[in-house]
Amino acid sequence: MRPAEGVYHRLNPTTKLVIAFAAALIAFGVRGWSGPVGVLGVVGVTAAVAGIGRGMRPFVLATLPLIASILIVNTFLYPDAHDVLFRVGPLAATGTGLAAALQASLRVVAFALSVAVFSLTTPTDDLLVDLEHRGLGRRGVFVIGAAIRTIPRMAERAGEIVESQRARALDTEGSLLRRVRGLVPLAGPLILGALSDVEERTMALEARAFSAPGRRTTLRPIPDTAGQRAVRWLVALGSLALLAATAGGVITPP
Amino acid sequence: MLGTFNTRVIALMPVAIAINIVLGYTVQTVLKLPIYLDSIGTILVGVLAGPLPGALTGILSNLIWQYTPGIGGGTIGPFAVTAGVIGLLAGLWGYLGVFRPRPAAGSQLYLAALVGAAIVLLLAIRIYTSPIYGTDPAQGGYGPGVYVLIAGIGIAAALAVAGFIIWRRDASGAWVAAAGAVTGIVAAIVSAPIAAYLFGGVTGSGTDLIVAALRQGGADVFNASLGQGLFSDPIDKTITSFIVFIILSSLSTRVLARFPLGERLVAQQRA
Amino acid sequence: MTAPTTAPLVLAAARYRYAGARTWALDGVSLSVDASRILAVVGANDAGKSTLCLVASGLAPAVIGGRFEGSALLDGTETRDLRPHEAAQRCGILFQNPLTQLSGTVPTVWEEVAFGPRNVGMELPEIVERTEGALRTLRISDLAPRDPSRLSGGQAQLVALASVLALRPASLVLDEPTSQLDPEGTRLVGEAIRRLAGEAGSAILIVEHKTSLIERVADEIGVLAAGRIVARGGAAEMLSDAALTSLGVDPPPAARLTRVLADAGIDRADVRRAIDAVRVENFSGPPIEAPA
Repeated sequence: MRPAEGVYHRLNPTTKLVIAFAAALIAFGVRGWSGPVGVLGVVGVTAAVAGIGRGMRPFVLATLPLIASILIVNTFLYPDAHDVLFRVGPLAATGTGLAAALQASLRVVAFALSVAVFSLTTPTDDLLVDLEHRGLGRRGVFVIGAAIRTIPRMAERAGEIVESQRARALDTEGSLLRRVRGLVPLAGPLILGALSDVEERTMALEARAFSAPGRRTTLRPIPDTAGQRAVRWLVALGSLALLAATAGGVITPP
Repeated sequence: MLGTFNTRVIALMPVAIAINIVLGYTVQTVLKLPIYLDSIGTILVGVLAGPLPGALTGILSNLIWQYTPGIGGGTIGPFAVTAGVIGLLAGLWGYLGVFRPRPAAGSQLYLAALVGAAIVLLLAIRIYTSPIYGTDPAQGGYGPGVYVLIAGIGIAAALAVAGFIIWRRDASGAWVAAAGAVTGIVAAIVSAPIAAYLFGGVTGSGTDLIVAALRQGGADVFNASLGQGLFSDPIDKTITSFIVFIILSSLSTRVLARFPLGERLVAQQRA
Repeated sequence: MTAPTTAPLVLAAARYRYAGARTWALDGVSLSVDASRILAVVGANDAGKSTLCLVASGLAPAVIGGRFEGSALLDGTETRDLRPHEAAQRCGILFQNPLTQLSGTVPTVWEEVAFGPRNVGMELPEIVERTEGALRTLRISDLAPRDPSRLSGGQAQLVALASVLALRPASLVLDEPTSQLDPEGTRLVGEAIRRLAGEAGSAILIVEHKTSLIERVADEIGVLAAGRIVARGGAAEMLSDAALTSLGVDPPPAARLTRVLADAGIDRADVRRAIDAVRVENFSGPPIEAPA
C-alpha cells in the first residue's frame, strides 16, 4: 500500500526520519509548555499539508488510555502539590498536578503524531532502500524489512487463535485466571510455528548468496537534494542545540 | 563475546521482533493481562546469539512497534532503551549457560527446588526492605497493604518456581528464576526514569493502578514508577524467562547446536 | 556410475553426520549428474534424502556444521573449499515450503528474483538481464510486478526457483519441491524442471516421493536407504521394479496396476492390449500409459 503522493510524501525518507526524531526530541526534551505545543503546531501543519488527517486517527486513539491515566494520576496524586482545585472523596485535584498532567499529555500526543506523520508519508520499502544507499548493511535491511512484513501476518494468526479460543468458550474476557489459561494455546503455536521456519529461511538466504561480502547493488536510488541535506543538518543540529540550551538553563522556555 | 550476526541469527531476529510485538500487543490489549510478555523474542535471541543481537532485537522491536500503523502509538518507543538492556542481559545469561538443562532426580531435585524458592524469596525480601521504599509512609514509604501484596506474590512465586523444578525434573529452573528476577529488577531501574520523565510516571496500562496506589502512599513521581516497575518487571521477566526455557527445551539439540551459543544450551554429556 | 569428473555435480563416498548426532545420516554416497540430465532420488522418510540435498549443494557442512567425509564437487571444486555464496553460484537449491524461501523483504516478484544477483554486487545491467532471463525461462515474466506474498503455492515455488536460477548455477538440487503444492502447482513445477534440463542444460538432482512426478521428469532414479544408494537405474525400469515398495516408495499408478495384473497371472502384453482397447472405447479420462 503506497500512500497518496504529496509534497511532503515526496521528501526523501531520511529527511522525514530526521524530522520525526527531532520532533520527538523537542517534545520530550524541552520542558514546560513550549516544547510540546510547538511540536504539535508543526506536526499539525505538516499533516494538513500532507493531507493525512484521517490516517492519524488510530495513532491518536492509541494514546487515549495513556492520556486518561496521565490526567487522573497526576491531577489527583501529584507529590507535594497543595494548590487544591477541588476534591473527589478523599482525593484532591491540584493546579500543579493538572498543569503537569496536561504537559505530559501534550508531549505524548506531539510525539505520537510526529511518528504518525512519518509512518503515513513514508513507504517502508523507500525508507529501507534509502538507508541501504546510505550504508545500512544488508543484514539490517533484512531484519527491519522482514520484521515489518511478518507482523501483520502474525497478528492475523494471533487474532485467529484468540477467536477460536472464544469459540471454544476458553474465555478471553472472563476472570484473570481464565485469561491466563488462554495464554498457553495462544503463545505456544504462535511462537513454535514462527521458529520452525527459521531454519529453512536460513538455508534459502544462503542459497541466494546472502552472506556474500561487499556492498549490494541498489536497484533504484531514492531522490535526494542538496536543499534537503541542508535541512536535515539544520533540523538535527538545531534540535540538539535547543535541547542543550534549555537543559543548561541558557534559555528558559515558558 | 558480544555475539554473532550470522545468517541464522539474521533470519531469527525478524521473527523474534514480530513475536515481541504481536504477543505483547495481544496480551496487553486483547487479553488485558497485567503483564507485558513483550520480551520473549528479545531474550530468545540474546540467549541463542549473544548480548548485541539480543539488544538490537529489543531496541528494534520497540521502535518498529511505535511506528507500525494499527498497533503502534502509545509509549513503547522510548522504552527501547529498557528492551536493549534486557537483550544485553539475556546474552550474558546465554554465555553463562543459565538456560542449559540440568536434569536432576531425588534429593538433588528437591534441593534445587529449595534453592530456587530461596532465590526468589531472597529477591522478594530485597525488594521488601529496599531503602528506596522507606518504611515510613510520611517519608515516601508505602502503606502496609503494598507490603502484604509484595510478600504474598513473593511466596506464590517461590512455590511456583519450586513446583516447576520438580515437575520438569530439571534443576535449571532455579537459575532461570534468578536470571528472570535480576533482569526484571534491572529493567525496572532503567524504565523508571523514562516513565517518570517522559510520561508523567504512568504507561497507560493496568499497572498504572500500582503507580496510583504508591503515589497515594506518598511516593514521588520517580519512586512511584520505580516501585511499580520493581513489582511488575521481576514477575514479568521471570515468567518470560520460563517461557523461553520451555521453548528452548522443545527445540531439538540439532537445531539448537547451530546457533552461536548453542553449545551452552545443550545438556552437558556425563563424562 | 563412471561419469567423467567434469559433471557439474559429483558426490564420491560422501558421508555426513549432523552435529551432536551419533550416526551417519549419509553413509558413503557416490553419484554424479551430467548437464541436461535429471537424477531423481527416492527413499523412505529418514533415508537421508534432505541430508543428501544439503551435502550436494554445499550447505552442509558450511552452514549447519556437522562432520563431512569424502568428496562433494560443484563444477569440479570441493564444497569444503567454497563459501556459501560461492556454492550458491554453482548449485541452486529449492526447498519444500515456497513461502519461507522468498526473502519477504521486497514488494515485487522482479525484485525478489533480483535478490541473489544484488547480493553478489553485480552491475545493474547484468542484474536486469539475469532476472528477466530467469523469469523468461520459467515462463513467469507476467508475474514480475506482483507482490510475492500474494502468489499461489505453485507460482511462489516458481518464483523461488527463478530466484536461484538468477545466480546461473550449473546444477540444481530440488528437495521435494512439490510436496506442499496442489496438483496444478505440481504440474507447473514439473514442466519447469523438464524445461530447465532441456533448454538451460542444468544438471538436476531431485529428491521426491511423488513417483508420478518423477515418472514424468527423471532420466535416472536412485533409491536411498539408511544413507546409502541401494539401487539405481533408468527411470522406467526402476519405477516398475517391485522392490521399490519394500524400500518405502510408492510406485506410480500405472506401474502398480501392471504389477497387480501380473500378480493375477495376466501377461504384460495383454495389459497393453486391454489399455488400448479401453482407449478406443470412448475413454474420457486421462490416458493411462502402460509401462514399456
